[in-house]
Order: sequence, then C-alpha cells, then structure tokens
Amino acid sequence: MSADLVRVAVDSERCIGGGQCEMLEPEVFLVDDDEAISSVIGSGELPRDRADVVVHRCPGAAISIVQPQRPSE
Amino acid sequence: MSPSAASAPTLAPEIADPRLYLDSIPHERFAQIRAMPGLAWHPYEDNGFWAVTRHADVRAVSRNPKVFSSAIGHTNLWDLEADALEARRSLIDTDAPDHTRLRRMVAGAFTPKNIRRWEDAVREITVELLDEFLAEGGGDWVEMVAAPLPIRVILSMLGVPVADADYLVELSNYLVEGTSDTQSLPPDAFGNTTELRLLPFNSPASHALFEYGDEMRAKRRAEPCDDLVTHLVKAEADGGRISRHEYRHLFHLLVFAGNETTRTAISHGAMALAAHPDQWQRVVDDPALIEPATEEIIRWATPVLHMRRTAAVDCELAGTPIAAGDKVVMWYASANRDEAAYTDPFRFDVGRGDNEHFAFGGGGPHLCLGAFLARLEVSVLLQEMAARRMSLEQRGEPVRMASNFVHGVLSVEMAPGGAP
Repeated sequence: MSADLVRVAVDSERCIGGGQCEMLEPEVFLVDDDEAISSVIGSGELPRDRADVVVHRCPGAAISIVQPQRPSE
Repeated sequence: MSPSAASAPTLAPEIADPRLYLDSIPHERFAQIRAMPGLAWHPYEDNGFWAVTRHADVRAVSRNPKVFSSAIGHTNLWDLEADALEARRSLIDTDAPDHTRLRRMVAGAFTPKNIRRWEDAVREITVELLDEFLAEGGGDWVEMVAAPLPIRVILSMLGVPVADADYLVELSNYLVEGTSDTQSLPPDAFGNTTELRLLPFNSPASHALFEYGDEMRAKRRAEPCDDLVTHLVKAEADGGRISRHEYRHLFHLLVFAGNETTRTAISHGAMALAAHPDQWQRVVDDPALIEPATEEIIRWATPVLHMRRTAAVDCELAGTPIAAGDKVVMWYASANRDEAAYTDPFRFDVGRGDNEHFAFGGGGPHLCLGAFLARLEVSVLLQEMAARRMSLEQRGEPVRMASNFVHGVLSVEMAPGGAP
C-alpha cells in the first residue's frame, strides 16, 4: 500500500486560531500563542487522506493542499 | 420575512416551543423534519425560520458565513430590535473581519497546547469535587460536580478569585432563565437601571456580570497578572485593539459559555453513564476509550441546541430557495442524531469512531472557543472516576430547563456505586 504525500499550507488571513489542525496533526501545525494564527512546522507533508481531514475540519477554511508530492514507497 | 419559494413551503412540526424540551429533546419531530424534502419552513412569532436539521446542511450553513451571517440578525430564534442587537452584540454575533480580530484576541489561550497546561489544575479541582461527592454518598450531581468544575476552571483562567465562583454560577443561572419561559429576577435586581431588552438574555444578571467584569478590569489595570483579563486589558490599552464594549461582552461570554455548556455536558454525561453501565464498564476497562467516550458524551449532550444565521443574499440550500433576510436556524440537536451521519445515532457508544459531531458548532468559524477546555474537563473527570472504579446510579428524574437554546439540567440526584 502506498499513500500519496501532499503538502499543506495555512492562509493566515482566514485562520481564526481554532486549533483543529493542531489537534489533528500536532507534528505539522502549531497555533501561535500571541497572534493565534496557525502555521506549518516542519516539512508540511501529510498523507493525502489525513490532509483531506484537516482541510475538511478547519473552521476558517484556511488550510489547503498546495502541492501533491510523489507517492511514497 | 416570509418564505421565498413561490410554492407553499412545507411546514415543519413545532420545535420552537421551550416547553417541548422539558422532558427531552423532541427527537421524533426532528426526525420527521430531517426526512422532509429540502428545508422546512417553521412559523415563529411574527417571523418564521428555515429549519436546518440535517448534518450536511448544518455544516453548509456554518461554513458559509458570507452567505449565512451572524451579524445581520440575532443568533437566536427570536428577533431583537436594531438598538438591542447593537447593545447586546458579542463575539458570537459578528462576521469577519470583526470576528477574526476578536477571536484571535483570546484564541491563543484556548489552543490544544495551551489548554493542556491546565490539566493539573483541572485534575486537582476534579479530585476535590469527586472525593466530596463520594464522602457525602452522592447528592445533586449538578450542584456537586457538573456546575463547580467548569466555573472554577474558567475563573482560574480569567484570574477571578475562586471565592466568587458561587456568585458567578448564580448569575449564570439567572442568565439561562432568560432563554426559557421563566424570569425570576425583578428588572432592578443587582442595581440594574438598563432596559432589559438591551441586556444579553434580557436579564439584570447581565448587568451584574458586566459590573463584575469592569471591577476586574480596574484591578488588572492597577495590578497586571498572568491571566486572561490582564491580556484583554492590555489589548484595550494597546491602541484600542479591543473596545470597552467588546471587553465587557467578551468577559460576559467567557464566564457564561465557559461554565454553562460544560456543566450541561457533564450533567448529561453522568445520566448517560448511569443509564448505560455496559458502556461505562468498557471505559473503566480500557483507558484508550477515554477520548472517544468524551466525544460521545459531548455529542450525546449537545449543550447548545441551536444557533441561527440570517441570509445575507438570496441563495439556495438543499434545493430550497432562501431570500436575503430570511432566518436560517441550525439545529445541532438534530444534526447530532442524523441517521445519514451516524450509524445508530440513538445508541450511546463510547467506542464510536470518527465522531464529527456538531456540539461545538457546525464546523465553521464560530467553532466553540472552549472546545479543547471542555474536552479536557470531561476526559479528566472520566479518568478520575475510572481510577476510583466508581459508577453512577441515577436517583429519580432530572429537573430540566424549558429552553430551546440550552439543553440545561438544573439538578439530578446521583449516588456512587461500586465497579460496574
């Protein structure tokens, strides 16, 4: 089985700091303490299915998939 | 406003009458509405509303704030006059960009990472309340556990002295009355001189809560601390990033929403665990079920029954045309039992997977600010109950609120039992 890796990004204008992304994928997203804006930490890569869930659950519709990556082994 | 459809709209069964909620959520009526094609029109006072009852439709409304506004009209079923709407406006009744600005003012304190810092404090309070409950051999679960736990936690975050917890719970109880048929306070209670229609929940208790927030503001201006009120006071001083009105209403909202909703979740959660000892046994046996059990309790409880939006433009939902200005009401109480979204929605299942419930809102930007705090409080409570291998036995019927907005439980007698 292989899972497609994709890269995700946060639109800081739309982010409301709801923290859903940090809850679902704490290795990839962190909400800033002061501005309460989420940003991508690390590579920003996620398997496609998990990226879809974060996009689906983001209350500000601020997360998007920006770049499909090559399939992992 | 009247329904925009040229053809006569399908009338929904009555769901707005607060008295319908005295025994339980009117689930059968909601099931009938979910099964109706399109959206059903519901007459209400002089100005009816579109009843949005299906999970997918609630999500569509919640996630489209440009079309379904929180700022144009009130966010409850009932309408407010224009001056009252302004006087009562809080974070809940705003759209972007005001909503984004105000929300970010406090959101940093409520992220998963920062809420986890409160775990020890939540556990300490929980242990104290549970041990007292056990020592007394039980009693009113609402008064002994469900009400004090969340209010003490939110007051700690705000920086309010714990000694004032009872007073603020009392105020909060009066506010809830404002969503039901009863209002037990005289208009001039707490020295109120403001017209009631200009106060949140039409309640003089709102005046008292504003006054309390103003006192806190003055104290933190004189002597800053490491708490939320100090944070807001600084934001107000710092180039007016938050207005005086916004501060007062945010303080009011944090106190009210920070205790009332989680209290409701913990009250219904206790009743659900008492009614389903097999499910509680699963949690006691398997700590991995604490997390899904917490989500299931919150879905089951659905502390907030509805929120309303107002159509900003002519639009369409579920094939039904909606006119600009129409009231569109999301019934979380119905979406959380939607057969299309859940297997066996009426089964209380602590192992339910992928539970995308709408107890914290319908998935849009007005997502409950305290969602992670509520989860922490419920999950720590379950952990500590499981650690004591205690179960709950319900004694008699709960006293419920007659409200179509808050799924409130005023009291319910519980006795501790041994391992289930």
